[in-house]
Amino acid sequence: MAVLTKTEPPPAPPRRRRLVYRLRVLRHDPTAALGLILVILLAYLVVAPLVAVISDAFRLQYGDDVHAGQRAGEWTGYYLWRVFRSQISGLLFWEPLLNTLVVAVGTTLFALILGGGMAWLVTRTNVPGRKWLAGALVVPYMLPSWTFSLAWLSLFKNERAGGQVGFLQAQGVHTPDWLAYGALPIIVTLGLHYYPFVLLLVGNALRRIDVQLEDSARVLGAPRRVVIRRIVVPLMLPALSSAVLLVIGRVLGTFGTPYVLGLPADYRVLSTGLFQSIRDRSTGVASVIATVIVVIGVLIVFTDMRLMKEHRRFVTVGGKGAMDRLSDLRGRRWLAFALGLLVFTVSVLVPVLTLLLSTVTRTPLDLSTFTLDYWFAERLPGAVGFPHGVLRGSELWEAAWNSLRVVGLASLVCAVAGLLIGYVVVRGTAPRIAGFLRQVSFLPYLVPGIAFAAASLSLFAVARGPVPALYGTTFLLILVMAVTHLPYSSRSGIAAMTQLGREPEEAAQIAGASWWQRMRRIIFPIQKGALVTGIVLPFISGLKELSIVIMLTTTGTQLLTTLSIGLVDYGYTQLANAVVLMIALVSFTMTYLTQRLTNSSLASGLGG
Amino acid sequence: MPAITLRGVAKSYGGGDYAVKNLDLTVPDGAFMCLLGPSGCGKTTTLRMIAGLEQPTAGTIAVGDRVLDSVEGGLYVPPEKRGMGLVFQNYALWPHLSIRENVEFGLRMRKVPAAERRSRAEAALRMVHVDAAMDRYPSQLSGGQQQRVALARMLAVNPSVLLLDEPLSNLDARLRLEMRAELKRIHEESGATIVFVTHDQLEALTMATDIAVMNDGELQQLAAPMDMYARPANRFVAEFVGSPPMAIIDVGPSPTGLAASLLRFTEARSTRVPPAAVGIRPEALRLGAPPASAWHEEALVEAVLPAGSSWTVRLRVLDTEMYALSYTPVQAVPGDVLTCWTEEMHLFDADGVRIPAEDSSADSSEDRVEAGA
Repeated sequence: MAVLTKTEPPPAPPRRRRLVYRLRVLRHDPTAALGLILVILLAYLVVAPLVAVISDAFRLQYGDDVHAGQRAGEWTGYYLWRVFRSQISGLLFWEPLLNTLVVAVGTTLFALILGGGMAWLVTRTNVPGRKWLAGALVVPYMLPSWTFSLAWLSLFKNERAGGQVGFLQAQGVHTPDWLAYGALPIIVTLGLHYYPFVLLLVGNALRRIDVQLEDSARVLGAPRRVVIRRIVVPLMLPALSSAVLLVIGRVLGTFGTPYVLGLPADYRVLSTGLFQSIRDRSTGVASVIATVIVVIGVLIVFTDMRLMKEHRRFVTVGGKGAMDRLSDLRGRRWLAFALGLLVFTVSVLVPVLTLLLSTVTRTPLDLSTFTLDYWFAERLPGAVGFPHGVLRGSELWEAAWNSLRVVGLASLVCAVAGLLIGYVVVRGTAPRIAGFLRQVSFLPYLVPGIAFAAASLSLFAVARGPVPALYGTTFLLILVMAVTHLPYSSRSGIAAMTQLGREPEEAAQIAGASWWQRMRRIIFPIQKGALVTGIVLPFISGLKELSIVIMLTTTGTQLLTTLSIGLVDYGYTQLANAVVLMIALVSFTMTYLTQRLTNSSLASGLGG
Repeated sequence: MPAITLRGVAKSYGGGDYAVKNLDLTVPDGAFMCLLGPSGCGKTTTLRMIAGLEQPTAGTIAVGDRVLDSVEGGLYVPPEKRGMGLVFQNYALWPHLSIRENVEFGLRMRKVPAAERRSRAEAALRMVHVDAAMDRYPSQLSGGQQQRVALARMLAVNPSVLLLDEPLSNLDARLRLEMRAELKRIHEESGATIVFVTHDQLEALTMATDIAVMNDGELQQLAAPMDMYARPANRFVAEFVGSPPMAIIDVGPSPTGLAASLLRFTEARSTRVPPAAVGIRPEALRLGAPPASAWHEEALVEAVLPAGSSWTVRLRVLDTEMYALSYTPVQAVPGDVLTCWTEEMHLFDADGVRIPAEDSSADSSEDRVEAGA
């Protein structure tokens, strides 16, 4: 019988010996190597572009040396001065910033009122057709955000920008500029796109509030109004603040709507300003604006996380108390239903029907001028850049094929990368690598898409070292799109792997399976479902994506979304509308099917 | 069948904290060894190091002549090449494979032909009585059945070393009893060397041929179950093994009451160093007329707790609370004053190490290993 008391740890073996041993272990376990590869890739694809764009903001670009009186490549405050303090800084920055704020606040208020009201209606009242309304009111979020702006133009466009006028103008009603372009239409159309976002967030929170908390207040003698003011609203604050900040963040990076509805009236916001600076080849100025957008984006997300943390003390566990207790609207039930129906009509039926009708009428929405030429005609007189119906010729099909290829590959890359990141994080053999992967893969979430695209341009537009210039290649499109969707896929990958745990793989290892066999026979088969959702959700969102790709596509790499914006530029309203309708149709159908088939939640996966 | 040897094995996750400190342990050929200890004592880490799922920061692990890990020698054999069997606490059955495919997996990895694979998987499943559920999936099975499948999956490849990580802790009491007998039978039939991790001392006592008690990453005692029970090497083992636990009374420098009484008794019978603590197991504390050589005191009965086959009595002895466990009916009622006595005491020195009894030949043959020796 051996008795041991108070053991000391043995002396550490010599460094070299330990190293030899570690290497032996690493040779048999590729997790660490895989993690290292992912770290390098992420550092290159996520961190390096951001560093590049920030450094571009402080380095004199070629061509600016004469104005700035410095040599190209030197460190400079020239661009800061130009953007913030020069004579044109009002035009370049301050005015767009103000407009951005106006649009962001307006859109948020609009979305909050509409989304919050509808959320209450479909979660807490006995409005007829609740289930249907709850589904139908989310549809606007499944359409590309600038669908609404094109529909708006079809209705309200005036003669200012040239090309075909809208329905009202065609009827002889003059539409003033403030109605046709600028802040008001942008706020309304963006609001119509983003209110489902608020509805989902607030609706979820409302559903999770423990009814017992309200009941307790009622029992203690509080009237209903007081219960709502003192109990429900405070409990809703986290969801509300989160919705507000996220909508602001999205609006900050949105491009399509302000481009379509703002630029004809010279109404600039930061994202369109950034786009113009890049198109004008003012790289330095563009870098400063992109940096500002990045900083605002980061601030928003950090504020949100901070608030969420502070509000964590409000989190209530909805046990059996969280049952469906609905307010009885009595006689006003049908009025409420009519209201819901109205919102659905305005946010889905009107835009979609307007777009549809506009593509089959020569004079907007005048059915006496019905024609299928815009879809099928072999020759369209007057349209020089696109002289045939959208379904004729090769442009649409090439763009569709490009979209499918680029978005499909990006989604696949994204989903696999997400799972692999999850794998490395959960295996936990390299805690520091895991921490880096977890944080850096989340980084693109902080950066509005358009700013990230600008950052990627900074890094990849020119040849650097062994990497050739990637501007104009589909490869760059795939990379950037995959990286911007990485936060969602890496989070779901980590969640899926954490849920699975290490044991199934270890069991296979003990049973004698090599790493490849474990991946092929155990990990990927078990994660099949997660992988499919991980591909489909970025795919849907990527298909509608415009802000990220607008700066990266060239005539050779046109996608469906950029094709449609191109058609808007030409003034071929009907053709542009036709293309957007097709994107909307595909995106809606896929979202609907995915939700049906996988029960996945829209709120969690869609980053568009 | 091979013996498993661990020499100077340590595991640190960095920061100077050791999950396992300098462990020397030999699991004899064909043994059923239990690693017993409270949670966080390093027993699971030890098991996972034997399996190769964790790597030691120092030391050597070998099975027979085959060195699996040697930090000093730069040798490492990955888990998939060790040819061991491991049952996880949560079974870790693969949800996407049927029961048959789960059990056949290890054979497939060993490139066993299909026909043989089939028959061996069926044999393994028959051995654990789940051959009827062969074509179902793990989620369709009860916890007990899943546990058996996990066993069958391990047994199918016929490994010479079986590792089990608290495999019974997720089962209900009845199934646990059944599986204990089952595991003992499997051990006897297969002749494999088994290392079994548990925090349940009863499980260890009933199944093991050898028990290694661990605490804070250190081996406390390695002994056969009944030896360990009769002669715990230190206070930790004494308190951890046995239920209800042994009462240990400190008889420090200037004891009073019960402590003084016990110290007087032990000093009168021993010429060795005086003990710092005296332990009495509840079943060794008897009630009634004491034999002449026994220690005895008056005891006030505070409560009688019958449990069918045994009676636990809470006593107050010289103002100290004590429990007596009796296997014969106790007729006393609260308020009665009885005589309690014992002839079996466990003595511990100031370091908490057992002081061997001089008159016990078994006890005197123990070899003590002091720290740093």
